[in-house]
Amino acid sequence: MKLTESIKKDFNTMTWVLIPVAIAINVVIGQIVAILKLPVYLDSIGTVLVAAVAGPWAGALTGTLSNIIWGLAIDPNAFPWFPVALFIGFVAGWCAIGGLFKTWWKVVIAGFLIALTAAIVSTPIAVYLYGGITASGSSFITAYLLETGKGVVQAVFSTNFLVEPVDKIATALLAYAIIKGLSKRYLARFPRAENVS
Amino acid sequence: MAIVNLQDVTYKYPLTEEPAIRNIHLQVEEGEFVAIVGPNGAGKSTLCYTLSGFIPHFFKGELNGTVEIAGVETQKSSLDEWVLNVGLAFQNPFNQISGSKFTVYEEIAFGLENIGVPRGEMKARVEAAMAMTAISDLADRSPYSLSGGQQQRVALTSILVMEPKVLVLDEPTSQMDPIGTREVFQVIKEMSARGMTVILVEHKIEWIAEFADRVIALHNGEILLEGTPGEVLTSPLLPERGFGISRYTSVARTASGQGLWPGDRRLPITLQEAVDGFARDRK
Amino acid sequence: MKDKLTFYIERESSLHRVNPLTKLVMVFAFIILAFFGPGFWLPSLLVVLGIIPLSFLGRVQREYFRTAGRLLLPVVGFLFLMQSVFHPDVGDSRVLLQVWVLNVTVEGVRFAYLTASRIFVMVSAFILFLLTTHPSELMSDLTRRGLSGTFAYVITATLQIIPQMQAKASTIIDAQRSRGLDTDGSFRKRVGALLPLTGPLVFGSLVEVEERAIAIEARAFTSKLEKTSLREIPDTKLDKAARWFFLLLIVLAFGSKLWPS
Ligand SMILES: Nc1ncnc2c1ncn2[C@@H]1O[C@H](COP(=O)(O)OP(=O)(O)OP(=O)(O)O)[C@@H](O)[C@H]1O
Ligand SMILES: [Mg+2]
Repeated sequence: MKLTESIKKDFNTMTWVLIPVAIAINVVIGQIVAILKLPVYLDSIGTVLVAAVAGPWAGALTGTLSNIIWGLAIDPNAFPWFPVALFIGFVAGWCAIGGLFKTWWKVVIAGFLIALTAAIVSTPIAVYLYGGITASGSSFITAYLLETGKGVVQAVFSTNFLVEPVDKIATALLAYAIIKGLSKRYLARFPRAENVS
Repeated sequence: MAIVNLQDVTYKYPLTEEPAIRNIHLQVEEGEFVAIVGPNGAGKSTLCYTLSGFIPHFFKGELNGTVEIAGVETQKSSLDEWVLNVGLAFQNPFNQISGSKFTVYEEIAFGLENIGVPRGEMKARVEAAMAMTAISDLADRSPYSLSGGQQQRVALTSILVMEPKVLVLDEPTSQMDPIGTREVFQVIKEMSARGMTVILVEHKIEWIAEFADRVIALHNGEILLEGTPGEVLTSPLLPERGFGISRYTSVARTASGQGLWPGDRRLPITLQEAVDGFARDRK
Repeated sequence: MKDKLTFYIERESSLHRVNPLTKLVMVFAFIILAFFGPGFWLPSLLVVLGIIPLSFLGRVQREYFRTAGRLLLPVVGFLFLMQSVFHPDVGDSRVLLQVWVLNVTVEGVRFAYLTASRIFVMVSAFILFLLTTHPSELMSDLTRRGLSGTFAYVITATLQIIPQMQAKASTIIDAQRSRGLDTDGSFRKRVGALLPLTGPLVFGSLVEVEERAIAIEARAFTSKLEKTSLREIPDTKLDKAARWFFLLLIVLAFGSKLWPS
């Protein structure tokens, strides 16, 4: 399939209407999780959901816009991290095309791949924009690793790799649980319903 | 020639075995007001989606027969062209708000922006449509801050401003209180009076009796009865098949069983008809 | 949780009247100058001589200081402290003071100050932009310049859906609290609370998608005709000139990186 066709396939009106809802799910669940003081973010469940039912391009767009909206409306500190969200959606979409959203244990694998992607993509942003120490709590781990003499890139990546998998595997599993809770009739309206049935 | 022309239409949703509507023949003349009644699951919404092009273009599935509006056949058209001829409004006013506009004025202009109407003309049409549906005073409000009846009038105005040839309404008042219902029917009446073709699915029988030129009773996906409101809405077949009917009709039917309503007089549908009918015997 | 989702403050000012794209280009010029431009003090100068005076021009200085204080001071303060303390010790830099086993060096403090001031420029330039630009206006302007209308739909729809869902979430949280939910309870209890709190919200909002898709298609959302816009957005010669000026600044900023003197 040619690139433009592959992109076009992801988008019908259902996708366009789903994306705002998915972004709202990202934001609101992210905030509820913070209220409950859980040690995860879970702020990309909506992104993974779109990626699974509509495809990688729609997922990438949802992730990107999610960050932009978070920046526009809640906290402008979110802007520079949009590539991470973009790749989470993109990789989740390809995982779904590869059949990783059909049974729960495959979803765990998808979650791990998404986590790996997030760890890789956020490293250069943390290093070049923030000099390695960002504003998040996990920066203490990075700082510790720096003190033990690790290079900054290595320290940041190791931190990300420690933090991401739990969050992203939980995210993928919750997105999967949502999909399982939706009717076949409803899912069939989305461009890549076959990925999840 | 009829503006709406359905010939032997049968439709099956994807992933289903049984057709939701079958063998439907329906002609509607320009300017006519047709009401559709039927019990739950009869296929009323399916028929509305068929008329408005969402079947087959949005729902996919298997459509047989011909659906023709204003001389164009649905299978040979695309949804974005079809909606310019046929406007659709439905039950839930909240879900009909586009969600992307911050004021009622902008909300109503949404459809005109989509079809590239120039700004000057757009404003004129939006303002005229709002005046017609009596919502001019809501122009600067957020569509989400309105009552159900107001939201439904905004939804109707948003469709009317696009000047469709045929208006399809699927239970537009089912979530309205009596005040909201009255407000919405005022708009529908006004549109019909201006010559628009209206096809309305409605449970509130008394309103139909007042407005409709013709009533179609749908049952199990098929047309069971068709005729004037007086004929169809008082037919003994309706209560037998699980249709909701007017309480005045059923009271008068019981009364006629006991000889209190003459057998040769048509059963009443509205309160007024019932009062008039019973009063005549008292004199 | 906030009841209103945009930062926008409706007010008459010359900054409000500037074309949205011009303001956006200006924001990027500030950011790129801060990160790539020459000089240790440049980001600080951009704030003091650029962003703050502009906030007065836009008559949003009070909101600007309040928002920047709320969103930026914690982040920038944290960054500054952490980086001062943890900046890798290169050996030959002067030690200012010792904290436990860590050396705070002049180098470290300089690095921390630079990073913090750059982040400050980045975020507060956006804050200024958002305070003086209505999202609909930005989207209309970008659509007119060729951004797809469906894209603009997504942004403005999201800005409306989020506060609605937040309102519903608050209702659900309050209801659950009155039934004994304890957001400070044990870890297992808090995990257990997640599903009842989010489930109804998520499924409720997903079910609406199908009808809304039908409703906007009924209003020609997917029309292939060229779209027009209700809003008229000013775009003067001065705007165009300003955009070229900011683009020039961006080029110069990158240039200064490529050819260091
Ligand atoms: N999207 C769909 N996919 C599959 N079957 C459907 C779908 N929508 C409706 N049906 C089925 O088609 C039949 C007709 O449904 P329809 O919604 O047209 O009835 P209705 O007369 O509008 O009922 P109501 O009074 O409840 O609105 C029902 O059996 C219903 O289950
Ligand atoms: Mg129905």
